[in-house]
Amino acid sequence: MTKKIMIQFRNVSKTYPPNVHALKNATFHIKPGEFIFLVGQSGTGKTTAVRLLIAEEKVSAGRIIVGGWDITHIPRRHVPLLRRQIGVVWQDFKLLPKKTAFENIAFALEVSGSENSRIQKIVPQVLKIVGLEDKAIRYPAQLSGGEQQRISIARALVHRPKILIADEPTGNLDAVNTREIIDILQKINEFGTTVLLVTHNRDIVNSLKKRVITLDHGIVIADQEKGRYFL
Amino acid sequence: MALSSLIRKKEDTFCKIKNIMFLISLTRIIRFALQNFYRNIWLSIITITIIILTLFSLTSLIVINAGVSQAILTIKNKVDISIYFKNSTNESTVNPLKEKISAYTNVKEVELITASEALEKFKNNHKNDPLIQKALQELDANPLGPTLTVKAHDVNLYQQILSQLKQDKIDQLAEEIDYDDNKLVIERLEAISQKVQRLGLIISIIFAIISLLVVFNTIRIGIYTHKEEIGIMKLVGASNWFIRAPFLLEGIIYALLGNIIFWLLFYLAAGFLQPFLFAFFIDINFNLINYLVSHFLYIFGFELIIIIILNTISSFIAIGKYLKV
Repeated sequence: MTKKIMIQFRNVSKTYPPNVHALKNATFHIKPGEFIFLVGQSGTGKTTAVRLLIAEEKVSAGRIIVGGWDITHIPRRHVPLLRRQIGVVWQDFKLLPKKTAFENIAFALEVSGSENSRIQKIVPQVLKIVGLEDKAIRYPAQLSGGEQQRISIARALVHRPKILIADEPTGNLDAVNTREIIDILQKINEFGTTVLLVTHNRDIVNSLKKRVITLDHGIVIADQEKGRYFL
Repeated sequence: MALSSLIRKKEDTFCKIKNIMFLISLTRIIRFALQNFYRNIWLSIITITIIILTLFSLTSLIVINAGVSQAILTIKNKVDISIYFKNSTNESTVNPLKEKISAYTNVKEVELITASEALEKFKNNHKNDPLIQKALQELDANPLGPTLTVKAHDVNLYQQILSQLKQDKIDQLAEEIDYDDNKLVIERLEAISQKVQRLGLIISIIFAIISLLVVFNTIRIGIYTHKEEIGIMKLVGASNWFIRAPFLLEGIIYALLGNIIFWLLFYLAAGFLQPFLFAFFIDINFNLINYLVSHFLYIFGFELIIIIILNTISSFIAIGKYLKV
């Protein structure tokens, strides 16, 4: 059964002292290859869910299982291994300003001890997926916001993750760039990667007609196939 | 495939290529450390300067200490009891006395200076004094008698030896017993030496604290400028040691460079100052350059280890708080 579920949240709660309840008893399952929206207004626990998934935070109660691996009480030394399995894209891109696009992507491989020959092979591949193979030697400052986000998506793909989490990836982008990013995420999803897209962009959610999990004040209030943004 | 088995499989592969990976990581760590060093060249220079100043105070303390102990030793060696006999005394009388005194447990050595040797020595000591030379020439016989010079194991034992000589009635046989009491000088020197050591220790501690704070701060600022990078490294799956290692290595580079530059400067300065110091230390037979050469490995190693420990602790503390991502 666990094989058919990529991500499991079982009665997960997260409380920040003294008594801020970011997530309350959240339960949902995500199957391999799904494309899922996690929606809700600001401060409803969407980002907390992402942080719990990559062990940036620890749950207060409940369990989280990723690909059959119970990461609820993951030891610190296993956290890097988990993060190499899950690609993450952030709203603020988190690119290193003093490294070129190529170097930024290579960086994720370097820190995990990949051989140079592998780096030389993989980086052009992922650059091609996001359509920026001609901008490899540009620095982040020389790229548009949308291009920067595509570089960060490319970086998230270097470990060939089974799961790609995008936390408000279009929050800083205009409509055209937003469309491009969503297209790339859909393309990655079509290759078989599970994509969890955290957003509060009504238009994207309504146009894609994918599964939508809606959070409100830390509570899962809706989980619909082919859902809509109704808040 | 379930993610957990995928991870297990990956961990297996990790073990197999662990050695290769270690080398790859090591070269990357060295590269990152050197990059940090160059890109913050001013911070690096300041840190190294502070390390050099710390080493200067530490080494000066060690050298001054060695010089003072050498001085005390020399003066202690100069203390002795001289037993002068009448010029009529035969060596056959003196020799048994020499044996007897040598047998004292607190005596280190007894030296016999014969009458003719004593005369030679006296002539030599006053060879620039024509009056004495003339007087000696006018004498037919040797006016001096044999002398016994007694050295004790320790300065504090001379009073004992004097009373023993009295007990054995040697003082009656001798013309004169001369005890040059340098005890006061020695006590003063030892007091000064203690003060010098204490002062040196305080100065060294102050410099060590300043150095610790500056090194700590330098590394903290360096790490602060890499705060974002550290966070991103962690989020893309770098292990803590992979992030820490370049900073620790950078600290070791500071320590090594600081030590090497310091010793080059110190040797240059010592060579320059040697003639003056030589004049100053001539009576106590202390050669700064020789001392440094013969103790080089000991002092260098000691100081290098101290500085490396200092830097490692600083960067360990400084980086710790940014790793909690």
